[in-house]
Amino acid sequence: MAEQNNIKRVSIVSKETSSFDDHIGDSDDATLDDFFSDECLDDDDNDEHELDEEAKKARRRLKQIRASTFVRGGIGEGDEDSWLRSRQLIRPDDQMDLTDSELCEEIPKVLSCENKNIPQNLVIFSFREGAYIPLPRTSNVITLFEHEGTAIHVESAEAKAQIARDGEPLAIPGFADLKSGSQTGTTTPDIDRTADAENAEGENEENEDDAGSEAGGEADAEGEEEQKEVAVGTPTGPKKKLTNQFNFCERAALTYNSPSRSVETQTVPPPRSSFGANVVQWHIYDSYNEDFERLKREKEKEMLKEKKPGLQKHVEMKRGDAKTKAAEEFNRKYFQKCQILERMVNQNIFDEISHDYRYYEDPSDEYREDDGTLLPLWKFTYDKCKKMSVTDICLNTYYYDLFAVCFGSFDFIKQVSEGHVCLFSIKNPSFPEYRITTESGAMCCDIHKKYPYLIVIGQYDGNVCVYNLQVGTKEAVYVSQGVNGKHSEAVNEIKWGEDMQDGEVNFYSLSADGRVFNWVLMQNKLTLTTIITLFVDVNPVSGPDGTVMKMKASGTCMVFHPTNKEIFQVGTEDGLIFKCSTAYSSKYLMIYQAHYLSVHRMDFNKFNSNIFISCSGDWRVKIWEDMRSDPLFIFDLGASVGDVKWAPYSSTVFAAVTTEGRVYVFDLNVNKYKAICSQQVVPRKKNKLTRIVFNHKLPFIIVGDDKGTSITMKLSPNLRLPCKPPKKQQWLDQLTLQIQKLERLLSLVRELPDGIEEAQDDVATEVGSN
Amino acid sequence: MDDQPKEGGEGDKKIVHTYALVKHSDMSDELKNEAIEIITTACEKYAQNYELAAKIVKEAMDKKFGTFWHCCVGEGFGFEVSYETKNILYLFFGGNLAIVLWKCS
Repeated sequence: MAEQNNIKRVSIVSKETSSFDDHIGDSDDATLDDFFSDECLDDDDNDEHELDEEAKKARRRLKQIRASTFVRGGIGEGDEDSWLRSRQLIRPDDQMDLTDSELCEEIPKVLSCENKNIPQNLVIFSFREGAYIPLPRTSNVITLFEHEGTAIHVESAEAKAQIARDGEPLAIPGFADLKSGSQTGTTTPDIDRTADAENAEGENEENEDDAGSEAGGEADAEGEEEQKEVAVGTPTGPKKKLTNQFNFCERAALTYNSPSRSVETQTVPPPRSSFGANVVQWHIYDSYNEDFERLKREKEKEMLKEKKPGLQKHVEMKRGDAKTKAAEEFNRKYFQKCQILERMVNQNIFDEISHDYRYYEDPSDEYREDDGTLLPLWKFTYDKCKKMSVTDICLNTYYYDLFAVCFGSFDFIKQVSEGHVCLFSIKNPSFPEYRITTESGAMCCDIHKKYPYLIVIGQYDGNVCVYNLQVGTKEAVYVSQGVNGKHSEAVNEIKWGEDMQDGEVNFYSLSADGRVFNWVLMQNKLTLTTIITLFVDVNPVSGPDGTVMKMKASGTCMVFHPTNKEIFQVGTEDGLIFKCSTAYSSKYLMIYQAHYLSVHRMDFNKFNSNIFISCSGDWRVKIWEDMRSDPLFIFDLGASVGDVKWAPYSSTVFAAVTTEGRVYVFDLNVNKYKAICSQQVVPRKKNKLTRIVFNHKLPFIIVGDDKGTSITMKLSPNLRLPCKPPKKQQWLDQLTLQIQKLERLLSLVRELPDGIEEAQDDVATEVGSN
Repeated sequence: MDDQPKEGGEGDKKIVHTYALVKHSDMSDELKNEAIEIITTACEKYAQNYELAAKIVKEAMDKKFGTFWHCCVGEGFGFEVSYETKNILYLFFGGNLAIVLWKCS
């Protein structure tokens, strides 16, 4: 009976499923499942008849509900309940249309626990037995779903233990109501009942929530318990649920709330500016034009720049040259301004000296008989030359305040590594106007009379070089080249010669190797010709290997005849003076046995070219007349005489310097035996005077010493007395008077007979040494 | 930046400049270049619709450099604006347009 019912229900369900699910929902399915499980229980447990009865009723009721639902849904024509369902159900096309009788027909179907589809005769080959053996039949149970329940059976040992401990579990009131309702009110419409059941279920759940029990899955357990309770019929007891070992308890704790606090900061707002303008078309137009012009210009510039490297190199060089030239030009101008400023400063510093130089005339001279004094003015030094000797002083003939000083050394042992030639101006005593550095010690120099910017320098190593001050002092315009193109020993005297017939500039140089060279300044080089080689008038010396050598005379000084430019005289180390001519290269015009030691310097008288003076290391100064082998005057100065010069303003005045640091000024017209001025200029022990020069125009002399100092000294009025014209001949000028004066003096000496002349020599010597 | 001047003709004929000419700006170079590029693109794209061009510029600038940018595009107008220092660009474009772009949050 139960089985039949079961089958019937299943068939119905299979037919109706599609329409059923829509409105009944999940909760109903759950209940359905519950019933299934109930049935199973029923089948197992046939003792409980009440339950069985009730289950039957429920099943019947369910069938009714489902049938009615199906009728409504399937036919679609609503009778009294048509308002409930307005929706047309979609029916599959292949569904059969059945009549009511057909629908009500009961089709029995028997379910057996035997699966006919399982093959009965499965075999497997056994290798051990070597034959096919039948496989054991497979089970026909297929596990579709497995769920571990959290509930425990009320009769299990664990449940019993719990009940014993905690008492009877709680019965759910809603569920109990439902049960009772179903028992009593069978007359209520099925749908309403279902709704009630739903409500009850909802309440039930709410109750559960209130109680704080577990959710969903426990419904099963409750259901079971419920039924148990129903069976027992005692729905009262303590509200406790059974728990199993998997149950857990909820615990909660309330913590303190953190106090809240608010923090605020205010930042500096970003800086703002304002800008305003008016946009008008012409502004835009103008701006564009302006910008376009600018772009154009830039482009042009760039084009130029790009062009430059493309051009040939020499053009660039030219440009560079032009640039440097411009810079040089600027520098020169700037330099000039600086020089002027320097001079002004110097003028202020040396204001008193300048005044002295210009206006001071020693008043004491009036009260002296004949003597004069020298007033030291400026001292010229150059830092780099403090340890060098002044080897030569040369005045510039054009700029009479400009003079060149050569720095070098006479001492063979203490030669300097480099020489200097400084051109000083008395306008600037603190620093030379021009500085020329030479490779070896500068021994002598000369400034050209016609071209006052040309300066020729003779060096200790035998080289000569020409500088053009206009071009610069850094590089020489001409330098002697090669071993054969120079002197083999120090150049002791160098002099510009008269321009040659075809206008070529040339100079002569005398060296210690006994040669006199003539150098011509060609276009780009110096050409030299040997004018004369001086040989000593002794027999040739035979060398160790049989060679015969003629001894050369080492030249120390050279002077050109003031009027006859062909004639020149050379002084030598052995005290001889050769009178030569550039016309003859092998013959001397005259040889003077002048001194016992080397002749240091000679000078022609400025008024009478037949008279010349010489000085020597043998302490003597001698005055000679041309072609007269004996001197006219001899003065002994008690020390080696470095230099002697005739005064340019008087025919009878000459000055000499000695190594003892004294300057002697003689005026033969005043005193034939004694210097009218003998003055210690530098410390006697420390310094030696080497050179002296008269300024051509101004009344001062320049004296050089061996410590690189050049001292300018003003001659006191007594030292430069002009000739007083005789009363009868007032018209005579100074020149004739000076010549007359010298002639008068010479006549005194010349008149002396030969024998007496000798005697006078001795007298002079003695006088001079006083 | 479109720096190429388009020459309308040879010699004395009128030359039409189309490149962007910055009249006034205190922006950093990076920002300025970006802004000029945006403006150039917008103004070329919407040559007939200044409103749309201004909108595009404003939105692009907002997106790239943060709010709030303001942009005016027009042929003739006057303005006097307060802006966050180092955030203004006043330039001419296309020969007849003036664009002023500034930031003021």
